Amino acid sequence: MIPLQYYLLLAGILFAIGAYGIMTLSNGIRLLMCVELMLNAANMNLIAFSTHINDASGQVFALFSIALAAAEAAVGFAIILMVYRLRAKIDIENIKLLRW
Amino acid sequence: MSDVATATTALMDFRPYAHWIMLLPMIGFLLELLIGKYWWRKGGMFATLSILGSVIISYGCLYNVYVQHLGFWEYSWDWFYPGIVAGFTIDPLSLAMLCMVSFISFFIHFYAIGYMSHDCAKNVYFAETALFTGSMFGLVLANNLLQLFIFWEMVGVCSYLLIGFWWHKPEAAAAGKKAWMSCAVGDCLFLLGIAMMYTIMVKQGITTEIISFNNIFQNLEHLSHETIFGMSALTIICILFMCGVLGKSAGFPLHVWIPDAMEGPTTVSALIHAATMVTAGVYLIARAFPIFLAAPNALMIVAFMGAFTALYASTLGLVVNDLKRIFAYSTISQLGYMIAILGCGAVLGVAAVAYALFHLVAHAFFKALLFLSSGSVLHGIGNVRDIKEMGGLLKGMPWTGYAMLAGALALIAFPFTAGYYSKDKVIEEAYIYAVHDGGLGYLPWIFLVLGVILTATYTFRAWYLAMTGEPRSYPAIRPHECGFWMKTTLVVLSVFALGLGFLTADWSKGIISGLFSGGAKFWHFLEETFVHETHTASGVVYEGLNLHDIALLGGNTLMEHGAHPPQWVILLPLILMIAGLAIATMVYYKNRVDVSKYVKKDNPLYQILWNKYYLDYIFKDIIAEKIIMTVFTFWDVLDRYVIDGVVNLMSWITIQSGQVSRKLQTGVVQNYATAVIFGVSMLMILVIMLRGGL
Repeated sequence: MIPLQYYLLLAGILFAIGAYGIMTLSNGIRLLMCVELMLNAANMNLIAFSTHINDASGQVFALFSIALAAAEAAVGFAIILMVYRLRAKIDIENIKLLRW
Repeated sequence: MSDVATATTALMDFRPYAHWIMLLPMIGFLLELLIGKYWWRKGGMFATLSILGSVIISYGCLYNVYVQHLGFWEYSWDWFYPGIVAGFTIDPLSLAMLCMVSFISFFIHFYAIGYMSHDCAKNVYFAETALFTGSMFGLVLANNLLQLFIFWEMVGVCSYLLIGFWWHKPEAAAAGKKAWMSCAVGDCLFLLGIAMMYTIMVKQGITTEIISFNNIFQNLEHLSHETIFGMSALTIICILFMCGVLGKSAGFPLHVWIPDAMEGPTTVSALIHAATMVTAGVYLIARAFPIFLAAPNALMIVAFMGAFTALYASTLGLVVNDLKRIFAYSTISQLGYMIAILGCGAVLGVAAVAYALFHLVAHAFFKALLFLSSGSVLHGIGNVRDIKEMGGLLKGMPWTGYAMLAGALALIAFPFTAGYYSKDKVIEEAYIYAVHDGGLGYLPWIFLVLGVILTATYTFRAWYLAMTGEPRSYPAIRPHECGFWMKTTLVVLSVFALGLGFLTADWSKGIISGLFSGGAKFWHFLEETFVHETHTASGVVYEGLNLHDIALLGGNTLMEHGAHPPQWVILLPLILMIAGLAIATMVYYKNRVDVSKYVKKDNPLYQILWNKYYLDYIFKDIIAEKIIMTVFTFWDVLDRYVIDGVVNLMSWITIQSGQVSRKLQTGVVQNYATAVIFGVSMLMILVIMLRGGL
């Protein structure tokens, strides 16, 4: 039985990697991957806690969260695909049409 | 007698249908506007027939009250606010107006079928005249001030539309605007007067029929104690009403729109001058007569304004060369006679209303005749209006010429015409007022008497110059006589202009009472107006008024018995009329006297008259362009630099701060993400610190 702290540590590290990626990267696909990392860190927390208190509802929530993440990723990739078709680039720094 | 009684009861009671007098022309208006173009002669049928319906109901009501003695009648409904009603009233005063307006308006419509036959917007013309007539009916039937005011304004709107009917002529468009604006000055003050009347009635604790005439009359005793700025409230209200009257009935100084209103079709001039517009003001004073009687000094102002207008306008009639404008000035003058005699009501009581109304009715007939015959002249010689370019028309158009002669004779009060019975009575009664009042009270009578000689001169100046002598221009050589519709109307109106005195003359008394089973003379019928009780449909009975008591409230004392003026006073107007006629004949027919050395632009008196006492100049160039324009220029500067400045400063500040602060939004996702993560981290640290460690 792996203690709870290890799960939480792993989740914290995953989250920090994702947050670092979001703050520093400009490639659209990498950004989305970072978002996924952060989401999965949260999911891991849910599952770890649910096992810890012996209650399955946390795992159910994790399933919901995964489904939502899939939907969000689909939308995100669709947008990035369209941007790529228009600009032949997916650097989001270049997408500033609506800025002052 | 018994067979007469059965014959009279056989006729139905028309009084509950009185509102249809007003509604029928309104329906005619809609039909004419929407489908008139596709029917008989492209317009005119619906308007004329609907007014024929109004004629039938009006005379039915007259028969009910005058012959069958069914009594005065009033009915009203609650309208939009407790105490504000919509209602209709049938009494001798409204009946006299209804019968006159409907009859004359019908014949003017009849005439217009011929007169407007070549106009391309014929159905619009007839729609507007039907609305005009319907509004006038509404005004006459109204039993309360607000309803009267609404129709008063509708009459104004229709006159604006019709004066500017040939809007493609710039002067016609300008004339319509002028009529509207001159009336609007008076109408604003009139509305203010109505509001004041409402206020003081509510102050008495009255909650039903607040501004209905009959209810106001019943409460005059309480109202007479009300004061505004230390003056009697009733006097102020009456002066405000009088301002409205001056606008609508073309009293000095708001008469300036009347001569310009001649730009409209002549039938419209006839409608305005005889039936539907200018008589409204006289009717308002007559309808509100007990209020004027109970207000100190109000009737004196009415008498002086009226008499002054009568003389003033007749001096202007002397120099104008436009045929229609001469008659327009004569209308202003004759309205002055009516208003003056109403003012004399301070002594004469309700009899003054009867005299004024009879002159109004008689005037309506002969003035409609004069306008319609001058319309026929215009029609016959191609819209030449200058009498200097006419001459000798009697040969080419005898029907028109003799019709105009009949009208002119009635206007100057030639013996046994309608004007003789109406106008000379007015002057005699003004003398009785003068004797009773003394001092300044003689002024109205003097003005009215002087007006007689001028009236005779200018009227026959116009007739002689137009109809006799040699033609003075090419179109006048071959005039063509008018057709069936116009000729019929001229004949009918001529008969009435010459014979209407029948209603009041001494010799016809027996004939009238024989015909109408004891019907009284016109005057005696009208004198019952305020002093008899009025029944309402809701069962309320308004008691007849004691005008002697009401007069005392205003400091007036009525005469107990009718006085007879001395013989020389009765003959004086007649002598002066003959003198005026003789002057006109000498100068313009026999050419014995040469006036050309006076009628020149360098004669100062002529110049004043020619420029209409510079009143147009004062109103337009001084008041409108100097005073009001200066005020507006100042206002414009204030508006542009102070008020607009503040507004613009506010918006400038907002825009500038937006310009600066929007740089905060970089649009770079990483920056936002960093900010969010930084913020959440800070919040978490804060929470941990507040809880005192993990």
